[in-house]
Amino acid sequence: MRKIIPLIEKEVKDLLRDPRIYIGLIIPVIMLPLLGSIMSTAVSTSIQTSMVVLKIAVIDADKTRLSKEFLNLLKNTDMSVYEIDGTDLNSAINWMRELGLEFLIVVEKGFEEDLNNFRVANIRVYAIIYSVGLGSIGKYNAFQTQLQNYIKIFSDMLIYRLNPNVNAETIRKPLNFTFHSILKNNVVKIDPQTFLSQFLMGYSIIVPMILFILSISVVQMAATATAVENEEKTLETLLTLPVSRYEILVAKLLGSSIISVIGGVLFTMGFLIYFESMLKMPGMDISTSFYQVLPPIHLESFLLLGISIMLSIFFITSLGVVIGALSSDVRMANSLLGFVIIPIMVPFFLILYGDPKVMPLAIKLVIYAFPTSYPTLIAREMIINPIPVEAIFGIPYSIVITTVILYVTSLIMSPEKLLTLQHKLRARTVGKEKRQ
Amino acid sequence: MFLILKDYGLNAPFNRKYSNKLLYGSFKTDFCLVTERMEEGSETAVVVKNLVKRFGAFTAVDGISFEINKGEVFGLIGPNGAGKTTTLRIISTLLPPTSGEVRVFGNDILRDADKIRRIISYLAEEAGTYRNISGKEYLSIIARIYFDSEEASKAVEEAIEFSGLGDRINDKMKTYSKGMKRRIQIARVLMTKPKLAILDEPTAGLDVFHAQYIRNIIKKYAENGGTVILSSHNMLEVEYLCSRVALMHQGHIVIQDKPQAIKNRLNASNLEEAFVKVVAS
Ligand SMILES: Nc1ncnc2c1ncn2[C@@H]1O[C@H](COP(=O)(O)OP(=O)(O)OP(=O)(O)O)[C@@H](O)[C@H]1O
Ligand SMILES: [Mg+2]
Repeated sequence: MRKIIPLIEKEVKDLLRDPRIYIGLIIPVIMLPLLGSIMSTAVSTSIQTSMVVLKIAVIDADKTRLSKEFLNLLKNTDMSVYEIDGTDLNSAINWMRELGLEFLIVVEKGFEEDLNNFRVANIRVYAIIYSVGLGSIGKYNAFQTQLQNYIKIFSDMLIYRLNPNVNAETIRKPLNFTFHSILKNNVVKIDPQTFLSQFLMGYSIIVPMILFILSISVVQMAATATAVENEEKTLETLLTLPVSRYEILVAKLLGSSIISVIGGVLFTMGFLIYFESMLKMPGMDISTSFYQVLPPIHLESFLLLGISIMLSIFFITSLGVVIGALSSDVRMANSLLGFVIIPIMVPFFLILYGDPKVMPLAIKLVIYAFPTSYPTLIAREMIINPIPVEAIFGIPYSIVITTVILYVTSLIMSPEKLLTLQHKLRARTVGKEKRQ
Repeated sequence: MFLILKDYGLNAPFNRKYSNKLLYGSFKTDFCLVTERMEEGSETAVVVKNLVKRFGAFTAVDGISFEINKGEVFGLIGPNGAGKTTTLRIISTLLPPTSGEVRVFGNDILRDADKIRRIISYLAEEAGTYRNISGKEYLSIIARIYFDSEEASKAVEEAIEFSGLGDRINDKMKTYSKGMKRRIQIARVLMTKPKLAILDEPTAGLDVFHAQYIRNIIKKYAENGGTVILSSHNMLEVEYLCSRVALMHQGHIVIQDKPQAIKNRLNASNLEEAFVKVVAS
């Protein structure tokens, strides 16, 4: 074991000083918060633009007392209203374009008559699309909200006419449902629908997302770091040192994992900053209070989550080491990496889209076979359920499977195969050079 | 430039015998290497018997046999593709033989590979270096695999001195020239004080001064009881260094003897002539 320490040191130094590696580590820390702040500024500027006074045009084809009252209502809200005489749509639109108006409201003939007879009155609305962007959406939303208010006011008026003594709100909405969700044993005043969508959008996605992106860079790093030994002809020396092949691979695993964990911490920080800024975005309805009403999560659960994330990283790194150890050069390692993406992705999808408890046994086994499944499982279950026993068994299992993978690789990694692969590659490149 | 290696507690007559001052180009050397890992015992360092190595259908080494005594520098020479590197890789436990027997200080190459790795040091033909690690860090990493920390730092200091890299030892190895990389590797090999040093073209790529400097280190190393097997394309080097030479051709050993005896037998004035005569016939 003493002999492994210098080898790990070599690994960490060589990796940390490699610009390709440290840039890969730093990028998510800078990029994600940057992305978050860009997104939130974009949205808040668009909200600001939608706050500017809406300019609308109105054609009153009815010209009755009630239609005039509707127009007055429009004028009394925060909008500048331009009344257009005549009913020709085309000339109205041309005129609107000149003035830069966006909405046209046409009160149709029979407006008053319909309402007096308790029939639905028709109003046509035209919106000129000048540009497509977040700002236009904000503006349109603001306009919609205004229109909803008018519906309410007219409904109040009609109900008053029928019976001045009733509460209009009761007539409109005679039943009131308050939703509760039960999480673990706590009753939480959240609509289950909101809970599910926000939970999926927010909480439960963080862990698999971070792990997924991290896994891809980690597996690539470990594979490259291992394959480069072969490519740069340092492996030949390494294999004649008084260390076993298994120890060499373990040193690779631990070295790369140390970098991965540093990367993971940095990435999580970046992601949380990104997530924070997304939460703060106006219009984003993921309220922080949503997380405050959730039942408290025990420290042990976080600890378990942390451990399972570490073990996942170890597992993924070991796959990278395996690929690197069986490749004659970095290019070959990179082309083999595609295979690893499958074990990284499958469990994530299965867990995101379904509850493993109700899945057929075969799929369940697949999920539990990959140490990468456990962090996602734990992250999700720790809020709604007690931690499942499978997740606890997952810890020793993950350690064992990673060790077995490395050990088996150390058995099949033969210098003879690697040297022969190199020999063939060289013969090919030399042949090419000769032909040229 | 003076490269003076410290006295490592050698007995006095031994020290006097080998502290002769040698002037090579700009180098003045005055040192001895101590092979602490050497023990008394078996006088035969390496036994190779009917060694065959096939790669698929191709036979790279075709039934060669030789023995190397303790303290000898044994040379493998031969044209490109003769099977020298393959032979050295087998002795250094990298490749398993197809058939035949190889023993290093009595240890079987297949059964006792772990034991052998503890007493050998191998310099590969094109040994690479780690890009982002300095020469000094590299030596220290290797030293700590073999020795405990105190002994390791002593070994590193020695190795730095005879690598002759001066202040460049602290630079990342990706900034080293080919020759500098070779010198750090030689320093690495001898630093671990192996009972058997396996050197595949040790001076390839080195300028005349550095090649000669390395040769003298190797010679002294053997004079102090270390055993060396090396391959080379430089016949002058082989004549100067080797107590015995085996000439390989197409996987066979065509002739093996003391350099002088080979020249006599083939009626050649130097080894190069002998080499050409053998390969041409
Ligand atoms: N891994 C391998 N797979 C297949 N053939 C190989 C392999 N390694 C070596 N050979 C072949 O075996 C023969 C001997 O190669 P080897 O490298 O031992 O020669 P060498 O004497 O060291 O030559 P050089 O002087 O060019 O270094 C060559 O023909 C080579 O092409
Ligand atoms: Mg060779």
